[in-house]
Amino acid sequence: MAAESKLAPIRKGLLEFLVLKIVGAKSVYVPDILRHLAGTEFATQEGTLYPLLSKLRREDLVQYEWKESDAGPPRKYYRLTDTGRAQLAALDDYWNLINRTIANFGH
Amino acid sequence: MERIATTVRLNRSVLQFDDAAQARLEQYLAESASLLEGDPDPQEILADLEQAVADQCMRRLRPGQTVVTLAELVPALEEIGSVQAPGQGPASPSSATMREASPPSWSLRQVSQGAVISGVCLGLARYFRLDVTLLRVISVLLLLGTGGAMVLVYLGLMLLLPYAPLEAGGPPVRWLPAKCRAFMEYLRAKLGIDRPGRIPA
Repeated sequence: MAAESKLAPIRKGLLEFLVLKIVGAKSVYVPDILRHLAGTEFATQEGTLYPLLSKLRREDLVQYEWKESDAGPPRKYYRLTDTGRAQLAALDDYWNLINRTIANFGH
Repeated sequence: MERIATTVRLNRSVLQFDDAAQARLEQYLAESASLLEGDPDPQEILADLEQAVADQCMRRLRPGQTVVTLAELVPALEEIGSVQAPGQGPASPSSATMREASPPSWSLRQVSQGAVISGVCLGLARYFRLDVTLLRVISVLLLLGTGGAMVLVYLGLMLLLPYAPLEAGGPPVRWLPAKCRAFMEYLRAKLGIDRPGRIPA
């Protein structure tokens, strides 16, 4: 499908925004994030998520802490840093702006 | 019958794999490592992926089963998926895409990242939008053709051309270009060429 090749990069670009939103809502570990995204247009896999989280951590947008789990080894729980929170707010504002702009065209 | 298994440490978990599963696992991790080439922090991601493989395999083991086989590993790897670098396109862009991505107004500079000697050819290639290999071949031919006078031209350009700023995520600066750059900066300071590219009065 021709439209699909144009939609894929949009989804790819927005994934980072969505991950920031999920991590911003509450401290989560990777399977939580995957569960939130599963069933949406943004369903993804660990192979995609770990490199993305590593990038976000290098950019000082998220940080993680180790938490013990009942089953298996300790897990990394991610949450936003102050910088991450500020960037998420900016992205949110911008997203709303774009939405309004798009809605206002073609009327 | 006894199935021979190998003990494998995956980040914080230790699991037993049969031969076929172990081979597939090694292949997956090697692929991931090569896909992460150019990522500034591949070790962390690989450790996370190893842990994901371990968790996924453990979830799939039947009660009492201790050895991971392809029956568990293959669906586990399918669920994890292959490594995708985030956002910024391929990890190591070819010279063609690098030229396309460059801003249109390159000033003439030496480019240390990916340079062979000092980055003069790479800088000229970007400035004139030529293939860098072609320029290097021409330089070597000129070197032979002029009986070595080309060396002086190169040294002159090395001393006078300013350096392009280092790009994050660009190719690494090799040993020789790094040394050349350090030496030229020292020489410029010594000769009083404080602003690179200007000849002292």
